[in-house]
Amino acid sequence: MNNDDRTTPGAPTPDAATGHGSIRLIEERCTSCMICVRECPTWCITIEAHSEVLPDEQGHHPSRQRVRTVHVLDEFTIDWALCMYCGICIEECPFDALEWAGPHVLGAADLVGLVHDRHALAEAGSR
Amino acid sequence: METCIDWFGDGSLVVVDLSLACCAVESEFAVPEGAPRLSAVPEGAQVVAVISGTIAAPVADLVRTRIDSLGERTHVVAFGACACAGGPYWDSSAIVPGTGRLTHVDHLIPGCPPPPSALAEHVERLRDGGGEVT
Repeated sequence: MNNDDRTTPGAPTPDAATGHGSIRLIEERCTSCMICVRECPTWCITIEAHSEVLPDEQGHHPSRQRVRTVHVLDEFTIDWALCMYCGICIEECPFDALEWAGPHVLGAADLVGLVHDRHALAEAGSR
Repeated sequence: METCIDWFGDGSLVVVDLSLACCAVESEFAVPEGAPRLSAVPEGAQVVAVISGTIAAPVADLVRTRIDSLGERTHVVAFGACACAGGPYWDSSAIVPGTGRLTHVDHLIPGCPPPPSALAEHVERLRDGGGEVT
């Protein structure tokens, strides 16, 4: 590689060229629909959720008395050891609950340290 | 396949980069300009082995043997998604899903590819005596 390229005026820096550093979860927008989980090419996203019955005034269809439920997010993780930073999850989310954020995810001493939970993902890019 | 780099040009820290696939482009870009290339690791130098790229099953033994030959005190860095956990090929029988399946790993740098600065910053922390930064 020609090292002179590093100083070419106006050329993108290496970090800018791979500038997708991290992904932020906007939890209140997530409906646990699992689309990001299914679309991820490396299966690096996991979602745990449960269903709750809506209150009486919202919980029944007026004609058939069908119980209505809503998904409640319990956990959302991204395994950065597998993530390709392709952005398909961001593109496919129907509710814009994921977005590019901040500098590159820091390294870790083990694989567990590269699995970020929903709290860490909510703060992505804030360091 | 391998480059041996006197990272700071003073013989104190040598990076042995096992360039296996595309992440090697980024690890090469991280090398300080003018850093000497060596044919062997000098005695007394701190050794950092960088695994950059996909570990194909046929070369797994070569990778393990080379890292073992660098000594127990070698600091092993998995650079990129493939070296960390197999990347997009993690469920393929043709690859090893992560350097940790072959040897100890001291530091994992995520990304596909990671930015070169992530490797450069980690090596500088090692020189400065810094421990693991997470």
